[in-house]
Amino acid sequence: MINENLAHYSNLFIALALVAYAFAFFAYCAEWAFGSRSRIGAKAGAVGRSDAAVAGASAAAGEHTTVSVGSSGVSVLTRTAQEEAEPTIAGDSVRAEIGGRFAVLATFIGFGLHAAGVVSRGLAVHRVPWANMYEFSCAAALAMAFAYVVLLTTGRKVRWLGLPVTFIVLLTLGLAYTVLYTDAEELVPALHSYWLYIHVTAAVLSTGAFGVATVATMLYMLKAAAEEGKLPRLHGVLERVPSSGMLDRTAYRVIAFIFPLWTFAVIAGAIWAEKAWGRYWGWDPKETWSFIVWVIYAAYLHARATHGWKGRAAAWIALLAFLCVMFNYFGVNTLLTGHHSYAGL
Amino acid sequence: MTAGIPRFTEAESVTEQQTDTDQQAEAPGPESAADFEGGDRLSTAPRPESSLAVPRLGTWELLRWMWRQLTSMRIALTLLFLLSVAAIPGSLLPQREIDPSKVLQFYLAHKTWAPILDKLQLFDVFESVWFGAIYCLLFISLVGCILPRSLAHFRAMRGRPPAAPRNLKRLPVHASFRTAAPAEQALAAAQKRLKGRRFRTVTGADAGGTWVSAEKGYLRETGNLIFHLALLGILVAVAIGHFFGFKGARLVTEGNQFCDTVAGYDNLTMGQLVGPEDLPPFCIHLDKFTASYQDSGDQMGQPRTFDAYTTYYATPTSKPKKVDVRVNDPITVNGTNVFLEGHGYAPVVTVKDGTGQVVYDGPVTFLGIDANFTSSGSIKVPDAKPKGLGFQGYLLPTAVTVPGSMPASVFPAAQNPVLILAAYAGDLSMDAGESQSVYTLDTSHMTRLQVKDKTNPAGGNALMLSVGQSATLPSGLGSITFDGVKQWAQFNIAYDPGQPIALGSAAFAVLGLVGSLGIRRRRIWVRVSEQGDGTRLIEVAGLARTEGATPTTEVTEAAETLAAQLTVAPSGSAPEERVPEERDPAEPGPAENDKQQRKSTPRTGASA
Ligand code: HEM
Repeated sequence: MINENLAHYSNLFIALALVAYAFAFFAYCAEWAFGSRSRIGAKAGAVGRSDAAVAGASAAAGEHTTVSVGSSGVSVLTRTAQEEAEPTIAGDSVRAEIGGRFAVLATFIGFGLHAAGVVSRGLAVHRVPWANMYEFSCAAALAMAFAYVVLLTTGRKVRWLGLPVTFIVLLTLGLAYTVLYTDAEELVPALHSYWLYIHVTAAVLSTGAFGVATVATMLYMLKAAAEEGKLPRLHGVLERVPSSGMLDRTAYRVIAFIFPLWTFAVIAGAIWAEKAWGRYWGWDPKETWSFIVWVIYAAYLHARATHGWKGRAAAWIALLAFLCVMFNYFGVNTLLTGHHSYAGL
Repeated sequence: MTAGIPRFTEAESVTEQQTDTDQQAEAPGPESAADFEGGDRLSTAPRPESSLAVPRLGTWELLRWMWRQLTSMRIALTLLFLLSVAAIPGSLLPQREIDPSKVLQFYLAHKTWAPILDKLQLFDVFESVWFGAIYCLLFISLVGCILPRSLAHFRAMRGRPPAAPRNLKRLPVHASFRTAAPAEQALAAAQKRLKGRRFRTVTGADAGGTWVSAEKGYLRETGNLIFHLALLGILVAVAIGHFFGFKGARLVTEGNQFCDTVAGYDNLTMGQLVGPEDLPPFCIHLDKFTASYQDSGDQMGQPRTFDAYTTYYATPTSKPKKVDVRVNDPITVNGTNVFLEGHGYAPVVTVKDGTGQVVYDGPVTFLGIDANFTSSGSIKVPDAKPKGLGFQGYLLPTAVTVPGSMPASVFPAAQNPVLILAAYAGDLSMDAGESQSVYTLDTSHMTRLQVKDKTNPAGGNALMLSVGQSATLPSGLGSITFDGVKQWAQFNIAYDPGQPIALGSAAFAVLGLVGSLGIRRRRIWVRVSEQGDGTRLIEVAGLARTEGATPTTEVTEAAETLAAQLTVAPSGSAPEERVPEERDPAEPGPAENDKQQRKSTPRTGASA
């Protein structure tokens, strides 16, 4: 039976998580607003592209040549883009740095509350807490926050992701809490299957990670435009965003990492469909759109490997793919009729 | 470029490849790209087409040119896009394959558009010629792409890693130290270290000294090939299912039975290579169907359980077996699966005609049309005397009547079933040849009977019956009694011999993909060169062959371990000054060198 008490606490946790994320969001905003151009960035900007001699060892923007000598007498020469050399949003501003740190703290608190909300919902209904659109949205937002928190804790300089990530998490969770909300209940018979755990978990994780990749891709587009001297009004802010190369790489890595999982999610869905409806593929709208998403991300990976398609063209494909992810979720569930109807909507 | 494998392809997977091109351009000589790559390409991807202009060539060349276009990455990319775009109408427009009745509705609603869309096969997108053409081209492209790549990869796997480039400093990561240990010892230690890390190694010597060349991560390309081959496997599985499988549906009311014969189905699709004799001869009897629903909260009326209690006979002579068929829990009879797909109500009625004879007695299947299972259907009694009788209307499982309006169903379970029927008399047009839907009545040759219930003015001209009630028709045409409600279950029966192949291929596809996207392919070289002062310079350098795989840590650690093993020679100069000192004297000066470095990694920002 449903544990009403726990379900109630779950709602409370989600509400508190919304508050914490909101604090985080505003603190990130403060970091971006107060941040000042860092010295590295200023120098690279002043040197420009023509004056190679002054640039010395750090050569062109984004490229970094380091020479280090270890204790054993080994000297190492790396000529790769160094993440350490990337600017930070806060730059030199102490106020911005404080804002940024506070934002990270608030993000962690928000994530903890959010996770508690999702877990207690699951305990309240004795099943995975992603079986209707409200729960799925909460879980996908959690997956996205999780991806960001993991990147933070591995010591990467990814605080630049904070603002867009908290924005999307806030939006998704807010929408879930206000529009999509349904009480904690048992499942419809169609969802009585362990494939719910496998298939939907993979889908939730992939959706969250694709979201993170999309954030990086959008920033990449902005930054690449700024590096070409476009968007003069955003120049001050974008200068403190990592280099376009790093953003592009981040997006690619996340997509390359999660694409196999999305493939698996689609396949698991097909296996479940076979078990439930007697055919593994029937071009149901959900299946069709999952297929479209899959094919477009495959096209993205191909584009990354095709001359003349790297960079911006590939980035457009990634954005298109995420648009399809969103349509597959909101559009297909609400506009089209098919086998995949989530309880409560 | 026509003979042999082209060196640089548009499908290069490695950004460093461009580095090589630039190096080749700037430093010609013995250190050519062939040296650098040991004769195999950085990517085994298909050859590029530098331009799309059709060369003026003979038929054979033209065919070859077309084939190369078709198997190019650019075309593969285009076809992938086309495939996704082509699938969209299949989700937005009703599809015959999925729900033919929706197509019919669409036809009625859009009389001008529908025939045009139909001509374009937009109601059969996934069986259409153009959808088929796209995926056929894609798979031809895939084969044309995969076969040469497999061959090239096979050769690369059996071949040796390429010789070490002369100037290792140009590589993205480079570590060096000096040692007094003999060259052979240094080389052996380096090879041992790399072998221990499961690198494929080869040693050699040239004017610059001796070297070890090592490569790792071949499984990346293997995974990629397996993935693409597995896609072919899935296509084959779909084709097998198409030709050798069958699927059908049958609606069974409680107390009735269904046998797996062609005549037993409501609808049946058989593969081209399946005959009626291939259907396994099982029978299923539906003893009882139960459904339970949420009875409170904001999900009130949502179904919670469905159980179809059945008795089945695997063959006409085998022992009966009792099974509870549920959603997600099919039964398997001789390799054929039986799924619970849907359910609904069947009001049981008795109809007497004008002569007092019982002309119909039994359940009539109605179709649920809303969340509270308001069900619509028709009762047809063409043989009634003196006139054929027909009823058309609704069953309300839990009827609630608000005074002054039509009753409505408020809950899907049959708690207070009410039957609301319009009555007709005349010719039901059932011999007209065209098959009729069992759920609707053709009233074109019938007259509506006046059955208005005077006690319920809001009810309109319709009979309203609760269980056990009867109504007499006017003009002595007969009577109808609502005896009760039974439930029916719809079973899907499906057999698809392609399934195991599809499943296996899908598993390989995921595994291949994990390998293809997760494994880093990289090369490491170690060079030992005499320094004239009795010491040797050991250089370790690495190159990524896949995006982001620059083996910085691996190179650094290898150098440090080797340095520790080979007790580093004392160095007099300060570390900062040693770097230029170690540069190859033949190299350009530092300033020029910097320029070259920059040029040689023009996209480091987007690579490494
Ligand atoms: C059925 C359609 C196809 C799908 C779904 C598909 C999917 C994929 C995916 C997901 C990857 C990413 C793996 C990676 O980056 O390592 C990939 C890589 C690749 N595909 Fe396809 N592919 C298809 C058809 C083709 C065709 C027709 C060609 C040949 C023209 C081709 C050539 C390649 C190559 C060369 C790579 C390696 C790219 C690299 O080195 O990163 N693929 N494919």
